[in-house]
Amino acid sequence: MMSLGSYLMVSGIIFSIGLVGVTTSRNVLKVLLSLELLLAASNLSFVAFSKFNGDYAGQLIVFFVILVAAAEVAIGLAIVVLMYRRISTISADDLKEMKW
Amino acid sequence: MSEFFFYLFAAVLILASLSVVLARNPLYNVLSLVVAIFSLSCLFVLLEAFFVGMILLLVYAGAVLVFFLFVVMCLDLKTIALTTSQQNRYGWLGWIVGLSFVSLFYLGTQSFIKAQTLGVSSIRGTIENIGQILFTDYLLPFELTSLLLLIAIFGIVSLAQGVLSSGKEVDT
Amino acid sequence: MVDGCLVWTAFFAPLIACLLITFFLLKNKNLSSLVAIAGILTSFVCSCLIFSQIFQASPPAQLQQSLPWIHFDNFAINFGFLMNPLAIMMLLIVTGVGSAIFIYSRGYMDEDPSSPRFFAYLSLFAFSMIGIVLSDNLIQLFIFWELVGLSSYLLIGFWYFKPSAADAGVKAFLVNRLSDFGFLTGIILLWSVSDIGAGRSFQFTDLVPVISHIDPSLLTGIALLLFCGVMGKSAQVPLHVWLIDAMEGPTPVSALIHAATMVAAGIYLLARLFFIFEPSTTAMIIIAYVGAITSLMAAILAVAENDIKRILAYSTLSQLGLMVMALGLGGPMQGMYHLTTHAFFKALLFLGAGSVIYGMHHEQDIWKMQGLWKKMPITGWTFFIGTLALSGIWPLSGFWSKDAILALAFEHNPVLYVIAAIASGLTAFYMGRLFFVVFWGDTSPGRRKGDHHHEVHESPWVMTLPLIFLAILSAIGGFIGIPQYIFPDQAPEQLNMKVAIISSIVAVVGLSFAFILYGKRSATDPLIKMLGGFYNVLKSKFYFDDVYAWYVDHVQQNIALAMEKVEKSLLDSLILGELVHLSRIAGRGLRYLQNGLVQRYAMVFIFGAIILFVVLSQNL
Repeated sequence: MMSLGSYLMVSGIIFSIGLVGVTTSRNVLKVLLSLELLLAASNLSFVAFSKFNGDYAGQLIVFFVILVAAAEVAIGLAIVVLMYRRISTISADDLKEMKW
Repeated sequence: MSEFFFYLFAAVLILASLSVVLARNPLYNVLSLVVAIFSLSCLFVLLEAFFVGMILLLVYAGAVLVFFLFVVMCLDLKTIALTTSQQNRYGWLGWIVGLSFVSLFYLGTQSFIKAQTLGVSSIRGTIENIGQILFTDYLLPFELTSLLLLIAIFGIVSLAQGVLSSGKEVDT
Repeated sequence: MVDGCLVWTAFFAPLIACLLITFFLLKNKNLSSLVAIAGILTSFVCSCLIFSQIFQASPPAQLQQSLPWIHFDNFAINFGFLMNPLAIMMLLIVTGVGSAIFIYSRGYMDEDPSSPRFFAYLSLFAFSMIGIVLSDNLIQLFIFWELVGLSSYLLIGFWYFKPSAADAGVKAFLVNRLSDFGFLTGIILLWSVSDIGAGRSFQFTDLVPVISHIDPSLLTGIALLLFCGVMGKSAQVPLHVWLIDAMEGPTPVSALIHAATMVAAGIYLLARLFFIFEPSTTAMIIIAYVGAITSLMAAILAVAENDIKRILAYSTLSQLGLMVMALGLGGPMQGMYHLTTHAFFKALLFLGAGSVIYGMHHEQDIWKMQGLWKKMPITGWTFFIGTLALSGIWPLSGFWSKDAILALAFEHNPVLYVIAAIASGLTAFYMGRLFFVVFWGDTSPGRRKGDHHHEVHESPWVMTLPLIFLAILSAIGGFIGIPQYIFPDQAPEQLNMKVAIISSIVAVVGLSFAFILYGKRSATDPLIKMLGGFYNVLKSKFYFDDVYAWYVDHVQQNIALAMEKVEKSLLDSLILGELVHLSRIAGRGLRYLQNGLVQRYAMVFIFGAIILFVVLSQNL
């Protein structure tokens, strides 16, 4: 049986990879996917803590997180589609209207 | 024995997530995420959280990522130029952020890593056990999530209205 | 016992009138003049009451009331009054002659659309003048000194749309400002050495014992600096240039300010602060000579003037010179006596001139007037009395006061006596010239084109009544014993028969000469032929204005332009320019942080969060 620490370390690595993806991707779809990675990483640590502390709450939280993530992805993709219809590209570089 | 499986699934997970971020073809991105979710689910099973593991597969890999695939297929992604953009000039900065985060995480969880003898509890996340808790102590959040999903549907329908009603004239 | 409340009422009544007019009555011609008249009459009545209170007691009573105003460390300014016989006499003149002129103005300014503004300014002036009279310390005096200058500027330039009037107002103010610079320097100098154990003070009563402790040359310097203020306000040479142009203002203004009161403020100052001037013989001699020179020069210039008001202005200058000379010779009583009588007949003359101008529909050139005696009898008679008084004919008031001064000069300094006598002779001459040209002769019309003669009529009673009042005062002024009231502790002067006879002869000679030249009217002034080239010198007022103008144009303007260049090159481009440059660079740099890419923002955000975690976890 592995220790808690190794599970948490894996979770941390996945989270960092997700961070890199969110902040440096040109493609907005890739950004959304990386967002999913972030959520997955936190799910992993929740479950690990749940197992090692003997509390079901962690797993229940993961249940709800998955649900909410599903809803969020749906809306995010709808926005991406709309964006594509508007500016014919899904490159994040073209969303610069907050520029000086 | 279980350590071997742990390392196996952890490695697959990490490689798959790297592939999500680094792959060029958007299809590869999505499919890599599917692989990652699969390995994550296996890790959950290793932690005896059977119910959430299955839910992960059913909802995430089954519905959400299929949705992603639909969108990827829908949009014509060949038109995205692969030239270096203003963003990627500073791409290395993102990696630095990532690495610093990992090291920070390691520093933070050192105590946990070193405590090899942290006790393992005897709970098992089977459907019966989860169901017992879910429908008694956590009933209210359960019902509220259905409301949340309803709101999400409203949101998507209203967003998509513009697309549906204007039909072919949306092309600007 | 003097009632302090009466003094405060007399002090502030005109100010209340001014404020009422300014805030409520600026559109109401009728009420504004009545309010102003009410204000000054209140002060006059209070002054009369105070007068009776002072002189009921023997020795005459005195009152000082002082409220602390600005006090810190070693610096104290109070606000208060010092009421003594000198002050009450001056106050009576100011409010009495002032009341007459206010009433007169009601008639004179009735055609002017902005007369409410006029009465507001007049009331402000009355308040400021009363302030000078009553002040008991140097700073308060200076404040009201400046206020009087301001009122004078406002009133001279009352018809501001006339460029000459606006310029005249500015000229008066500038010259006054120049003199006030010296005045203030003197005040501060005096204050700084006024510590003899009780701290420094601006109060007159505190300064009296200080004088004997001051080093004589320093005292001379202080006296001369204070005299600078007198030179500006009372228009002594070389700061006399503003008074002539001040005639651009309405005639009541000329009467009140530039004949009876404001210009007399300098003389009053000399008398009030006589204890400062008296010990310094150098300063006294200089003062006396300045007065005499002014007197003579003004009299000479008056001979060549053709504007009725300007002739009277020069005569004012001349008489002021005499008063200053009297004070320089050590005779404050004589100076103040002449100030009082001069106020009577000069105001009378100016109001009479105003009546003439009004009757002639604002014509001011004496060569366009002739034989007005028959058309305007009251004006004519009163003007005649004023002329005789000014020339010093017995038994009118001017004779007595001028004689006192001449006697003083005769006893102390023969040179000055001769100058003063010549000036008096010339005074008689040019006043005769004025009178005969304007009022004498026949009134047959058609001698010249554009005559207004057939339309000329006497002025309304609001204007002639003050004339009569002032004429009576001019006539009997010598017999009511004014000097005893001003300086009760001085023995009354005895008449010096020699001087009296000489001055009477000189006056009569002057008048007769004028009659010879001007009794029979000719087309132009015969004096032009007589004086030849010298006439042009007189016409340009001995070139004083030209000298000043040259200085301002060539010296002052160039200095100002050079300063501007220095400021532009040094301050603007060097200091300010560099600051602008720096902020531009900073702005350009910071702009790159805002590039619109949300992901970049998120990255920076996370980076910051990481650093924050690291920092916070150091303590754990």
